Amino acid sequence: MRKMEGQEVELSVVDLQKWFPVRKSFVSTLTSKKTKYVKAVDGVSFDIAKGEIFALAGESGCGKTTTGKTLLRLLEPTGGHIYFQGQDITGIGKREMKDLRRRMQIVYQDPYESLNPRMTVHDIIAEPISIHSLADTTAEVDELIYRSLKDVELVPPEEFIGRFPHELSGGQRQRVAIARTMVMNPEFIVADEPISMLDVSIRAGLLKIMLKSGEAKGVTYLFITHDLAYARHICDRGAIMYLGKIVEMSDMDGLVNNPLHPYTVALMAAVPVPDPQIEKAKAIISGEVPTPIDPPSGCRFHPRCPKATDLCNREEPKLKEHGEGHFVACHHI
Amino acid sequence: MPILNVQDLRMYYSTLKGDVKAVDGVDLEVEKGEAIGLVGESGCGKTTFALSILRLLPYNGHFVSGKILFNGDDMLTVDDKTFNKEYRWKRLSYVFQGAMNAMNPVFRVGDQIAEAMLLHEDVEKEEAMDRVRGLFSLVGIDPDRVTNYPHEFSGGMKQRAMIAMALACNPEFIIADEPTTALDVIVQAQTLQVINDLRAKLGLTMMLITHDLSVVAQTCTTCAIMYAGRIVEYADIDTVFSEPKHPYTKALIGAFPSIKEAKRELVSIKGTPPNLLDPPTGCRFNPRCPYAMDICSKEVPKFIGLGGRHYAACHLLTGGDA
Repeated sequence: MRKMEGQEVELSVVDLQKWFPVRKSFVSTLTSKKTKYVKAVDGVSFDIAKGEIFALAGESGCGKTTTGKTLLRLLEPTGGHIYFQGQDITGIGKREMKDLRRRMQIVYQDPYESLNPRMTVHDIIAEPISIHSLADTTAEVDELIYRSLKDVELVPPEEFIGRFPHELSGGQRQRVAIARTMVMNPEFIVADEPISMLDVSIRAGLLKIMLKSGEAKGVTYLFITHDLAYARHICDRGAIMYLGKIVEMSDMDGLVNNPLHPYTVALMAAVPVPDPQIEKAKAIISGEVPTPIDPPSGCRFHPRCPKATDLCNREEPKLKEHGEGHFVACHHI
Repeated sequence: MPILNVQDLRMYYSTLKGDVKAVDGVDLEVEKGEAIGLVGESGCGKTTFALSILRLLPYNGHFVSGKILFNGDDMLTVDDKTFNKEYRWKRLSYVFQGAMNAMNPVFRVGDQIAEAMLLHEDVEKEEAMDRVRGLFSLVGIDPDRVTNYPHEFSGGMKQRAMIAMALACNPEFIIADEPTTALDVIVQAQTLQVINDLRAKLGLTMMLITHDLSVVAQTCTTCAIMYAGRIVEYADIDTVFSEPKHPYTKALIGAFPSIKEAKRELVSIKGTPPNLLDPPTGCRFNPRCPYAMDICSKEVPKFIGLGGRHYAACHLLTGGDA
C-alpha cells in the first residue's frame, strides 16, 4: 500500500478494472468471435486519506459510478486491488465482507428507487440494525432509529417513523436513505450523486446533513458527481475521469483554477456560472464521449483533443505528478 | 406592443383531492427580440405556464381566468382549428423537455421535422426536406443525416434536432423547456452556444424554462423568478443577479454554487416547496422566509415597480404596510 504524506490512508485503489462482457448474438456465438467488453473502469488508482471528501467527477458513462460500486465490491472487480484501512479486500469471502459492509456504505442517487415502497421508515432503518445486530432490545432499536432521524433533521421523529416512502417528499426520502446509512456508523461512504434528483433550494441543506453527521466521527467520503460546482465547494480533493481512466487528480483548487489536462480544461470552461457578468461558458471541444466498447488507442481523449499528436495515438500516457499532489495523464504537459 | 402579454393567468389541474393551483395569477410581458428566463424549482408551475401558452395542457388542466395576448390577440379565445393551423408551431413553437424521448423512434428525424412544414405551409416534400437540411446545418448537424433515425443520434444531436424542429416554420416565439437538463456539461455548453448563435443570427424571441440559474445567466436578457405558481421577481438579467430584492431570489442565488468563486459554505433554504393543492395564504414563500412578518401570511403582496423594468412582490418593499 502506498503512503500519503503525513496522512492516514483510509482507502487505496490500485489499478482497478471492471469490464462488462457485451452480450453476443446467437450467430456470433456460433462463429465464436471474441467476446467484447465494455471497459467501464480500466486501470484506476487513487488514495483517499482518512476524513477526506474526495470527488470523482466526469460526464455520464465515464465509469465513476462503476468505480464506486466496484470498490465496495457491490460489483466484483475484473482486476486490481482495493485496500481498506490497509487490508486488501479484493479477494476476501462473504462472511468477512459482512462486517466491512457495515463500515463501508453507499448513498444512492435516486431516493425514489432506493427505498422499498412497502416498508415504513421505521422498518427501513431497523433492517441494517438487525442485520448487523447493532442493538439487543426493541427499545434500543427504537432509540437508534429516533436518534438517526433526529440527526438527519426529520423532526419530530414520531411523525415520520410510521410513514411509507410515498408519503415523503424527495428531500425527505433522501434523508431517510442517509439515516439508514448513518445508523450503522460507517467509516467510509460512497455518495453517488446524492443531490442530483433534488430541488435546487434543498440541495445544500441535504449535503450539510450528510457531511455534518460524518465530520464529527471522521468519516471518509467518496463523492461521485457530474456537477463540478458542488464538488468545488464541498470536496477537498478530486479526480476527473474520462472513458474509464483518471485523467487528472489534484486538490479542488488545483483542478478548478489550474487544470492541466486538455479534457479538464474543456470541462471547467464548459461549466456555466450563475453570474451574467462573467464570461460565458464555452465548448472548447466538439463531439461527445465515444463508446467504451472500443475506446480510442493511446490516450483515449486524443480524437477530441486540440493538442493531439501522433504520440497520443500510439502510446497511453501515465498519470504523473506535476506540482505537489497534482497528477495528470497527458503527453503534452 | 409586447409580443407576449400574459395577464393574471390562472391554470388549475383538477384532481380527486381538489384543484392544484399550478399557475395562480401570473403577469408577464415579453418584448420582441428578448430572451426571458423563467426560473423556478420543480413543481412551481413553470412548465404548466409554458404549456398553457401553446394550449397543450393535459385533459385535467383547466383555465380559470386571465388572458394570453400574443401580438395583441387573445390565444385563449381562438378556436382549436385556427390555433392549430395558424399559431401552434407556425408562430409559437416549443422545445420539449427530455429530447431523448421527444422524437418518434420509428420515423426518420428529417421526416419528423418536415412534417411540421407540410402541415402548416403549402410546400412540396422535396422543398421541405431541403429546408430541413438548411436547419440542420444551422444547428450544427451534418445535413446528410436527415435520413437517420433518432437512435442513430447522440444526446446532444437529438437536442439540436429538437431545436431545428422548433424552428421549422420560422416561428416568432420559441419556448425551450429545460433544453439542457439531461445533457453533460460539455454538450450543455455546445447546446447553449447553438441557442445563443441562433438568437444573434435570427433575432429570435424566446422563453427559456429552467431550474438552473447559471443557464439563464448565460443565455437570457431578462429573468422572471417563479415560486409556487406566481412570479415573485422580474428584471433584466444583470439586475436580478446584482440587486435581487425578493428574499426567495436572494436565497436561490445564495444556494447556487459557482465554480468560479472560492470555496464557501452553501446556504440552503429551510423547508420544502409547498404543495399547490393547499398553498400557504398570503405570500406563498412566507413559511420559508427568514424575514416573514405578520402581514406576509395574511395578504398577497402586490407586484411593485422598483424602477425600470424591475418588479418584485414582497411586503418588505412597502415597509410592511398594505
